[in-house]
Amino acid sequence: MSHSLGVTGTYPLVLTLWLLPLLGAIICWAFGPQLRTMSGWLASALVGISFVLAVASWSDATQGAGGTLGAHQPLASWLPGFDFGLLLDPLSLIWTFIITGVGFLIVFYSIGYMDGDRAFARFFAYMSFFVFAMLTLVLSDNFIGLLVGWGLVGLASYFLIGFWFERQSAVAAARKAFVINVVGDVGMMFAIFLIVANVHSINFGAVFAAAPALSAGVLFAICVTLFIGAAAKSAQIPLHTWLPDAMEGPTPVSALIHAATMVTAGVYLVARCAPLWDHSHGAQLLVGGIGAATALVGAILGTAQWDIKRILAYSTMSQIGYMIMGVGVGAYEGGIAHFFAHAFFKAQLFLGAGLIIHALADEQDIRAMGGLRRRMPFAFWVMLTAVLSICGVPGFSGFFSKDAVIYGALQHGHPWVYATDIVTAGITAYYMFRLLFVAFLGEYRGEAAQAHAAAEPAHRPHAPAWIMNAPVAVLIAPSVAIGAVLMFGGENSPWQRFFAPLFGATSSRAIALPPVSEGVTTLLVFITVIIGFAIAWQRYATRSAQADAVARLRRESERMPALLTNLLYFDWLIERLFVRPAQQLGALFGRVLDPHVFDGAVRDLVYWARWLGTLVRSFQTGLVRAYALILVAGAACFIVYYAVAAGVR
Amino acid sequence: MVVPIGDYVALAAVIFFIGVFGVIVRRNPLIMLMSIELMLNAGNLLLVAFARLWLQNAGQIFAFIVITVAAAEAAIGLAIIVTTFRPERFVDVDDVRSLHG
Amino acid sequence: MIVLATILLPLVAGALLFALPRQDRVLSRAIGVVVATITLVTVIAAGTTSEWSFRWLSRPFDAAFHFGATPTSFWIALLLTVATACAIAASREARLRDFVAQLLLLEGAMLGLFLARDLLLFALFWDLMLLPVFFVLIGWGEHPATAWRYFIYNFAGGLTLLLATAAFGVIYGSTDVIGRAAGPLVGAWAPWIYAGFAFAFLVKTPVWPLHTWMPPTYSGLPAPMVAVVSAVQSKAGLYGFLVIALTLLPHEVHAYALALMVLGAVSLIYGAVIALTQNDAKRIVAYSSLSHLGLIAIAVGSGNPIALRGALVYIVAHGLFSAALFLVLGYVEEREATRLLARLGGLGWKNPKLAGALCIAALAALGLPGLAGFAGELLILIGVYQAGYVWPVIVALIAIVVASAYFLRLYQDAMNGPEVPDVPVRGDLTWPEALAVAPLLAALVVVGVYPAPLLHP
Repeated sequence: MSHSLGVTGTYPLVLTLWLLPLLGAIICWAFGPQLRTMSGWLASALVGISFVLAVASWSDATQGAGGTLGAHQPLASWLPGFDFGLLLDPLSLIWTFIITGVGFLIVFYSIGYMDGDRAFARFFAYMSFFVFAMLTLVLSDNFIGLLVGWGLVGLASYFLIGFWFERQSAVAAARKAFVINVVGDVGMMFAIFLIVANVHSINFGAVFAAAPALSAGVLFAICVTLFIGAAAKSAQIPLHTWLPDAMEGPTPVSALIHAATMVTAGVYLVARCAPLWDHSHGAQLLVGGIGAATALVGAILGTAQWDIKRILAYSTMSQIGYMIMGVGVGAYEGGIAHFFAHAFFKAQLFLGAGLIIHALADEQDIRAMGGLRRRMPFAFWVMLTAVLSICGVPGFSGFFSKDAVIYGALQHGHPWVYATDIVTAGITAYYMFRLLFVAFLGEYRGEAAQAHAAAEPAHRPHAPAWIMNAPVAVLIAPSVAIGAVLMFGGENSPWQRFFAPLFGATSSRAIALPPVSEGVTTLLVFITVIIGFAIAWQRYATRSAQADAVARLRRESERMPALLTNLLYFDWLIERLFVRPAQQLGALFGRVLDPHVFDGAVRDLVYWARWLGTLVRSFQTGLVRAYALILVAGAACFIVYYAVAAGVR
Repeated sequence: MVVPIGDYVALAAVIFFIGVFGVIVRRNPLIMLMSIELMLNAGNLLLVAFARLWLQNAGQIFAFIVITVAAAEAAIGLAIIVTTFRPERFVDVDDVRSLHG
Repeated sequence: MIVLATILLPLVAGALLFALPRQDRVLSRAIGVVVATITLVTVIAAGTTSEWSFRWLSRPFDAAFHFGATPTSFWIALLLTVATACAIAASREARLRDFVAQLLLLEGAMLGLFLARDLLLFALFWDLMLLPVFFVLIGWGEHPATAWRYFIYNFAGGLTLLLATAAFGVIYGSTDVIGRAAGPLVGAWAPWIYAGFAFAFLVKTPVWPLHTWMPPTYSGLPAPMVAVVSAVQSKAGLYGFLVIALTLLPHEVHAYALALMVLGAVSLIYGAVIALTQNDAKRIVAYSSLSHLGLIAIAVGSGNPIALRGALVYIVAHGLFSAALFLVLGYVEEREATRLLARLGGLGWKNPKLAGALCIAALAALGLPGLAGFAGELLILIGVYQAGYVWPVIVALIAIVVASAYFLRLYQDAMNGPEVPDVPVRGDLTWPEALAVAPLLAALVVVGVYPAPLLHP
């Protein structure tokens, strides 16, 4: 088992690709009003250059072997043992490709999508900052650097969810996302305390080298607390509730942050800490189980949504469940492959949804869509290919990656997880085709497009359509074909060989001899997908269903089970268990305890001091002769006392 | 002829108690001040008498200090009396109670 | 000699400022900023090497007018001078000349406190630094009762400090002991002396349940003054624990460490939970201060070297962000004539600079990784955990989550959301106003990215 510290040296390319987006963020932030639309071009250009540099660093990232795989660039040191540096190895390289590559396409797309927004430059500053933060996260060679990146992407996500901050709902969603992510950060912090106390280092290399020697309890605790961070960031139950709300942000944000990159940070974390998970069976079971449960819950909730972006959000949650499950049980290549493919097809889905939302004047309810196939053929083909890919239709990218994950669960000895995943695949097919059929087939049911078409041309010139269409078109190729190119061929596929130096050969790690072959798995998945598709077809695509679509959809929304409309009561529970008790406690402390008990004790002290003063004051009559009498009486007492004392003696 | 020390003590005691009586009973501040002087001088008498008896000059010196203090006190006391009682013609300490608690 | 000049300069300048014509607002502010900046320069020039000593008492114990920075107090003095310069630059109060003079006097008194190398001197400056705050509470505050509450509470602390110092001097023979490798005080009196010190330090910090003077004081003081007070004056107690108690009475600190940590942990969670529901923006920051300083009390109690280094980072970080928060909230209050969150809202669109400043300060305060607060927090908790205390770490982590909630509430309720119709949004920060908080914000980023200088004294 190898874990990389990288070949230490100076890597200007890595440094530059890391810092360029920060430069973009600072320029867009400081000179936004001057740059205006140029800021979008600048930001995308810098992210694009980062991507080129990442490609150019390929040989650096894959150099070396065994314990020193990849490029390690030391940066600075806090305390002895707290050294910071950058590490570009195959794992972070894959993430860097997606962050900068897909990031470039999405930032470019945003030039069109955000055209005319009054905070145009600020948007690109935030996007660039996000890319920088995400690069920090994946390039750090230590846990604290990872945590810094972890927090900064959370901040970028907060800013971008609440980008339209005059909307109360966006503000609330942003706050919720941030606070839940802080819960994750705090979990990771605890993991860092455990690591420092037991290993006395924060660097990946040292920690992973020490992992086999750690006691099972400590290792499990480290894995669990790290996973709290992963769960919050990657929207795993029960910390997933922020992700659907995060759709309040502009659509490109949802595509980049809440689909392709940031929410997969948890996958990265688990894959990065593979040496820890490899040695903790309990952690594997836990993470695999939560991943599978999230996949299922996300899929179930996805069937009950009407907002196009929320459907996609739940599907993201569900797909990340797959990834987490994959890396959790030890099928790292599979989990990462699903991340890789998902980044393309989910970005494509969101950007396609963005095309629709943009054209329909911010209409997001699929009940108010319909018949868009004829109006927006490009968007239809974009969505169709992406849906086929996400459902795992054979030949598409999603097919290869999802099969690798599902079969990996079985290979590593988790049959229940395997079964859950196969069922989830069917539900995925159902809700994705539901989205496609309701939005694109039948007759148009909304009012927005006319209004939009009538109002729009007179108002302002649109950015040219190709700015938004070109990035989406570019994404189609990988989301259809990348799986066939990279992941075909099992053990000998380019993908497996790429990761072999990092994780070791798959066959050597598989602990169970699967009772079912990979071919049968593929068949099972395909059958459930067909069933899901068939149900969706039956309910939304047949001629009779399309004929009275309006009535049918209304009926369906009215008869939705309470369990589903309340989103399985996760939000309700969090509200009841944590938010309200904290507020009530705050009210109790702030309005009762603090002013009346603790300050009350102080005021009681004041009261008694005053009472004592009043008592003593009453001797002060102001009558001079009374004073004299007391004086004499006192003197007389003394005299009598001494006289008696003398007499006794 | 040598006056026995007991006579001095007796005289001083008489004078002192006259002073005490005056302070407690009389309401005229001037008389009260004079009574205080009486008490102080009773003390002085004892100081000087015992200094003579034991042939130690410290007592005599102390008597001078007491005289000085008494003079200062009389000056301040008279000043207070004059300022306090000038507006009212009647002189009675029981009427001055502005220092009561 | 430089160190003496450092202390005398603001005191003398503050006194001389009263000679200026009353209505010379701009000039007095300019003089104040210049004096504070020169003081900043002299603090750096003095460094930790410059010392000045003059014999004062030889009976009943040795005492001296002995000044000089220790590695810890150097950073606090730097923080103090930066915070004062920024606060004076941000001052827009009525009777500005007198206000600036009070700020300078406060700076001088606190410089004397932190640079004192003699315990008796420390105790004297302890009481002296109460006076400018008291006068400002009387003259500019909302209610004189607040001023008396502040004064009596802290003066009681000063009294126990003075008594403990006297006892210490009599037993130990000398009070010229701060920052010197003198052996610890032992004996039957040591716990009582520690109790005297600890009471003063706990009141000043403040730590629950001795904190009730603090919320009204912080919300009653004008923003520039409270910026300095919460940034630096509240650190006097912690500095006392770190530099005086830990070196001179280590056994006692250790023996009662658990009590200190419990008080710190209760402050931590208590302040955080109250801050969650307060409506007055300044009170939110006040209670957050209670919460944050509880963390440092925990660090002192743990006695772990990493935690103690983290405590210094966090002292500086808290100074920077609480000063920035109070200054920015002062700007908000000055513009909108209210600081109630229920009445504020939607300032961000028209005041991007104001919103940005509040945002950075609030993020640093809630411990965003990459800003100063995080570095201190993380080091403290690593150290506390390493020392074997798990429960304070868990309490602190819960408080961090709560902190993110209340600081975002503070920021969002003021800056985000729709504009509130009955509180019209007024202009954004002017350049002088922005420059007054800029050094604090810049320092937050610098310390957050590279806290190493504070860690290698």
